[in-house]
Amino acid sequence: MSTGTATGSTPDRDRRLIATWLVTTLAIFLLLVTLGITMRLAQGAVVPLSTPDFYALMTMHGLGMAGTLFSAGIAMVWFVAARHARPSRAAMWVAYVLFVAGAVALLVATLIGKFAAGWYALYPLPFLKATWPGWATGTTIVALMAMGLAWLVAQLDILRALAAEHGIGRMFAWDRFRAGAGEPAPAGVLVASICAVAGVLGTIVGAATLMTYLFKWLAPATEFDALLLKNGMFMFGHTIVNVAMYCGICAIYELMPRFTGRAWKVTRTVAVAWNATLFFILFAYFHHLYMDFVQPVALQVFGQIASYGSAVPATAVTVFGLGAQIHRSGLRWSFAPAAFTLGILGWVLGGITAVVDSTIAVNLVFHNTLWVPAHFHTYFLVGYVLILLGFMHLFLRSRAERLAGTGLAAMLAGGYTFVLMFFLGGLDSVPRRFASYATIPYPDLADRAAELARWGALGGSVFLLGALVFCVSLVAGRRRRSGTAA
Amino acid sequence: MIQSLAALVSLVLALIVIAVALLVARRATTRDASGYTVVYRVRRHYATALIAGLAILLFLTLSRTPYASIADETPARKIDAVGWMWAWDFQVDGASASLPLEVPVHELVEFAVTSKDVNHGFGIYDLQGRLIAQTQAMPGYVNHLRVRFDKPGTYHVLCLEYCGVGHTVMMAEILVQ
Repeated sequence: MSTGTATGSTPDRDRRLIATWLVTTLAIFLLLVTLGITMRLAQGAVVPLSTPDFYALMTMHGLGMAGTLFSAGIAMVWFVAARHARPSRAAMWVAYVLFVAGAVALLVATLIGKFAAGWYALYPLPFLKATWPGWATGTTIVALMAMGLAWLVAQLDILRALAAEHGIGRMFAWDRFRAGAGEPAPAGVLVASICAVAGVLGTIVGAATLMTYLFKWLAPATEFDALLLKNGMFMFGHTIVNVAMYCGICAIYELMPRFTGRAWKVTRTVAVAWNATLFFILFAYFHHLYMDFVQPVALQVFGQIASYGSAVPATAVTVFGLGAQIHRSGLRWSFAPAAFTLGILGWVLGGITAVVDSTIAVNLVFHNTLWVPAHFHTYFLVGYVLILLGFMHLFLRSRAERLAGTGLAAMLAGGYTFVLMFFLGGLDSVPRRFASYATIPYPDLADRAAELARWGALGGSVFLLGALVFCVSLVAGRRRRSGTAA
Repeated sequence: MIQSLAALVSLVLALIVIAVALLVARRATTRDASGYTVVYRVRRHYATALIAGLAILLFLTLSRTPYASIADETPARKIDAVGWMWAWDFQVDGASASLPLEVPVHELVEFAVTSKDVNHGFGIYDLQGRLIAQTQAMPGYVNHLRVRFDKPGTYHVLCLEYCGVGHTVMMAEILVQ
């Protein structure tokens, strides 16, 4: 079944579909934020939490956030695709059912089964001396496969629809290099295409990796190569969290021009930048394996080059593109453009600290310290999530600007406090993924880590409060709705 | 110290970005049809500076990777470090080393790090509790990490790769003298 009008409007049935994805992912996101705050409270010795419980929460938080934020991103990309092509509503509903089934199974495996191998579940941890039952491991693998299938179905259909409407050369902006080419595809189409193809490739690698996990679960005597599977898991995991961010960027390319009145054109520079971005998304993951010295040195160096390289199109094209959109545009700052712009700011700030950490010589003393969650929480919590909420505000036609703005202010204050505590912990060499800091053999460091965790929990709580205020604004804003929007 | 330098670079760049963002945000509300052109003019210089800066940084930092130190010098002491859930074993010349592990100060020490079971992280913390070097301990592979201990005293090895419920207690002492 095809849908959409390819004229820029969003039919009601499409709206219901996207709204269902958005509301579901927002609800899961809020639950996972609560888990995150609970973990920081436990690390701060405020809330008692057993070690197995802490790691089960950590696993759910990590897997859930990566999967949920990526899924929300796919919904935004589908929205953009549906404005310029005819993606299948049926395929997106199938993907939704698979995603929800996967999410529920994951909740059962972690919160009831206490599966606790962490979000990237490095082989062979899920299978050795596990403190959780075997069914929890199997359920987690199947849950992740269900989510992966959901993403594949959705993204392959988006690619099909965009290719059918625009042709492959136009959707990836390769036509910009051909003399006499007509009008370029809308910028949103280019970004949606890059997101979907990168997401598909990452998910396929993830599917292959998860198949080996499933095989190991079914035939425990089988052995696989730990380094190979580590590469597979990071290419999968890094790619989907990276693409999630770019899905948010896709929404900005599509929607920001309506506030500034300036077209966001696909020039040759933009075409080169986004095709380069696809390359960087797929190969920057090597920076996760710098501390695996047996990985070929050429790949390690390539990882640093790709990580540095990703900063060029991201800032020179997207960030400057946003700057060109808003500079002296006569923009009236309302919630959505403010959230988009602040989200890009969070992305850049998180990106700076990510690039710093992607320097091999720096990674030697930052890897697996709190600097790592610091940078990715920055570009997610005060980056991508703000873009997502800006999109929701617009898409759900909320008119409660002031209430949403109050929520945004709280999210900014709480979010930046939260991530700052991670950064300070990283500078102090506080290891990440410690259920309790009491075991650290340096009393001063242990005390400081716990104190930072308590401040982090406070910041996280303020963020959560702001997010709840935002949710109220969505309901209140809809009640007062009378006009049209996205 | 690498941590301080990284923090300084991050802070300076972050402040510049925030300042520019505030400037652009303030100017957003005024209308000028060609207001975007100045941004594209700045972009040309920015892109050139960024690419040049990143190239210089690559040149400066890639010679300081932990892999580059492998071939240069013969270590004074070679130690096998084996991680398992949830402890570290050390061997010197094929014999189990007594704990705490003793190593010479100011000499180059090479750790051959591996794991008997799952992935672990071999992170060495100095006297003040500052991480000075690390590598992964992976089943089926051996990572060679070279460290020169500058001061005598008790250093600690903490596991830096999540390895199950005993992750936080997986540590060892290194006595440098």
